[in-house]
Amino acid sequence: MGQLLLGQLLNGAILGTLYGIIALGVTLTFGITGIVNFALGVFMMLGAYAAWYFTDVAGLPYPLAVPCAVAVTALAGLIADQGLFRFTRNNLVNGLLVSIGMIAVLEASALLIWTSTPKELHRVLPGVFVIFGFVLPKMKLLVFGLLLAVIIATYMALTRTWIGRAAYAYAQNPEAAQLMGVRTSRLQTGVVVYSTALAGLGGALYASLYSLEPTLGSLFVLKAVEAAILAGIGSVIGSLFGGIILGVTEGVGSIYLPLAFRDAYGLVFLVAILLFKPAGLFAGRR
Amino acid sequence: MLLEVRGLTKRFGGLTAVADVSFGVAKGEIVGIFGPNGSGKTTLLSLVAGLMPPTQGDVLWKSAPIQGRPAHEVAAAGLVKTFQNPQLFAELSVIEHLQIAGHLELKRRLGWKRLATLVRPEFGHAGGALQARAEHVVRLCRLDASRDRLAAEISYGEEKMLGVAMALMCEPELLLLDEPASGLGAGEIENLEAVLRDLKAHGTTLCIIDHKVGFLGRLADRAIGLHHGAKIAEGAPDEVLRNPDVVMAYLGHSRDRI
Amino acid sequence: MKSQQAGLFIVSIFLLALPLWVKSDVVLTILVFSWLQGMLAVSFNLIFGFTGQLSMFHAAAFGVAAYATHLFMQHLGVGYWTAVVLAALLVSVLSIIVGTICFRFRLKEFYFAVVTLAFSEMARLTVLNWNDVTNGSLGINLQEKPWLLGFKVDGTVPWYYLSLFALAATLLVCWRVVHSWMGRCFSAIRLNDELGDTLGINVFRYKLAAFVAGNVIAAIAGSLYAFYLGSLEPGFLSIDQSLGIVAMVLLGGRSSVFAPVAGALLLTALPHLIHFSAEVRSIVYGSILILTILVLPQGIYGSIAALLRKRHAA
Repeated sequence: MGQLLLGQLLNGAILGTLYGIIALGVTLTFGITGIVNFALGVFMMLGAYAAWYFTDVAGLPYPLAVPCAVAVTALAGLIADQGLFRFTRNNLVNGLLVSIGMIAVLEASALLIWTSTPKELHRVLPGVFVIFGFVLPKMKLLVFGLLLAVIIATYMALTRTWIGRAAYAYAQNPEAAQLMGVRTSRLQTGVVVYSTALAGLGGALYASLYSLEPTLGSLFVLKAVEAAILAGIGSVIGSLFGGIILGVTEGVGSIYLPLAFRDAYGLVFLVAILLFKPAGLFAGRR
Repeated sequence: MLLEVRGLTKRFGGLTAVADVSFGVAKGEIVGIFGPNGSGKTTLLSLVAGLMPPTQGDVLWKSAPIQGRPAHEVAAAGLVKTFQNPQLFAELSVIEHLQIAGHLELKRRLGWKRLATLVRPEFGHAGGALQARAEHVVRLCRLDASRDRLAAEISYGEEKMLGVAMALMCEPELLLLDEPASGLGAGEIENLEAVLRDLKAHGTTLCIIDHKVGFLGRLADRAIGLHHGAKIAEGAPDEVLRNPDVVMAYLGHSRDRI
Repeated sequence: MKSQQAGLFIVSIFLLALPLWVKSDVVLTILVFSWLQGMLAVSFNLIFGFTGQLSMFHAAAFGVAAYATHLFMQHLGVGYWTAVVLAALLVSVLSIIVGTICFRFRLKEFYFAVVTLAFSEMARLTVLNWNDVTNGSLGINLQEKPWLLGFKVDGTVPWYYLSLFALAATLLVCWRVVHSWMGRCFSAIRLNDELGDTLGINVFRYKLAAFVAGNVIAAIAGSLYAFYLGSLEPGFLSIDQSLGIVAMVLLGGRSSVFAPVAGALLLTALPHLIHFSAEVRSIVYGSILILTILVLPQGIYGSIAALLRKRHAA
């Protein structure tokens, strides 16, 4: 039992970092552009399929395919921002409706192009670690490490560099930041593109672990939004912990409760937090 | 004593906005609460209207405690407050505002039977009565000219008057006015004074908070001076206005006359 | 006013007489679906357009009632119409619970949308996973048809009239409510609920009233829809379904009681007439949603009304 629990904890934590990286995108977008961008899910899907395409179809080695996938996703994010999200700044309801519209369009397009037949990446990093009798694939650990590194690097960038602090200042007080010379529209576009890149990275790494189908993004982004709101939307480190809390709860929960409940934990957290502590668990912290 | 405030205190963290204020308002009088900006006037009014709970103290409306009761219940009990910054329904016209404000009276008149008007609009002749009343209030508040204009299009003075008009539609026993004269020109203040005197003549009790000394001095029967959240004077308006502490509060130094 | 009433009269006669000269089963089927989707759109607009609450629970009300109607018939042995009433009651209880939770905690706008979405998803997951009762993702085939006044409502023409009647009833109820004191309360809540509160309007009560009323109408629409279609599936409760409803309302115009029907008509007829696959339909819905928000935020009705106002003023 202990082994099963440990296994689920580890798996949950790793899955949690995937939730976390998307949650980070959600939190950054909200802080700087004032909307919750559900469409990050399709960008994750885009990144995943791009990684698959570059690896299995174009024949690139995986470590090269990932940055390419991220670049493609970031570009798509730029186009989407200039053409669409730019018009919904600070309008939560419109932002929600527009992103849901975008999800419908892109997911359906993906279904038409790639069909719902699952795509699988060939083995990227075979081999496993054995920890206390529990089998952990090396690739999972690599993904975990990479995502953790990116999230922490983002946190560092936000707190140490000028750009990061400008972004933080803007999130606190847009007018003051503008008066101080921060180019707000560029900042907003930059954050949107960065968030989509994060989602793309998440997707590209997801592709190495799981099989792909066009609706993979929807489920993930809902979990990511749950994680972000759980932690406190606006908290960078919070999004990591929110993701891990959610991932671990799902993993451990599946031991004691039927699998059908898996998606319900996040929903319950969401409702509970919005009702009782809307600022989130890590409210007020970076 | 229609309204009684006892030992009312409100603290926000380290800041004491209202400090141990006690006073009463008797039926039919006009009580004016003076104080420079930052003296806690608006907070006091919000506490009295039940919009926020006090840290300490009681607010008694007709001898029953009213703090913590939801805003719509307070209004239904006869205590209605206006906003310092006019709160309006942007897309609607002046007369439509008054129709909405007539809801409370409709509720009082018909009770749950008002549901019947959904099926038969003429039920209880309430619709006609509401319309007549709305027209009456429009005339009373001298808003006839702007009757059909949208709230977004009327002048600031008219906006404030509309706030008073809406409060009137609720048939208040006591009307709490939060800085009704602020931002108004001389002509508009005259207008306002006339309306408020009309109200008093009709039996409505008024409690007005303002920092415009002249306006309040002319209108009030009794005055209360506020400074840094505490009551520093009470009595007839000219007495209070001559009170050295009040003068000090307003001007920062003593002077022979304001 | 006279011309509006005359116009309404003419349109009514036209719609009632339609099956006499339109014999195409395809067109009539599209209209049946349109009228039922119209019920969804109009009832959603009561909550969204008039009271200002973006609810993502509408599809859940629709789907739960559809399943409940069948299950009540199956397990309690009641007739169709009794089951419809029971299903509507069930949905109203659920709406009261969800609405009370949301409005007691004063959830605003976006967060209200997210929480209602969460509840809707919970309902969908329940339907999807409770295999014993709902047959999960496989859905259920419905053989029975309702009986009305001694006639079995089977076949396109009877359903055309039933759905048209249901839509007309919905429009009548919504119109009456919107143009009453209650409708004024809704407007007050939509425009400035704090002000409404200080004027003696019990904001919580009327938000809940709009929410429950809208959901109950959606419930009835669901009961009808499922038995016309002849099947039940968890997709009834999906976010796509809610998305479709929002798109219809935004397209038609959210400031009018009748306009959402136009949106429903367009969005239901279009994919069927041009033989869209499910994916293309999603693309169309999504695109319309996006375009409406960005280009035509007042919908068709609102834009025409604004244009006419400008002409008058000029």
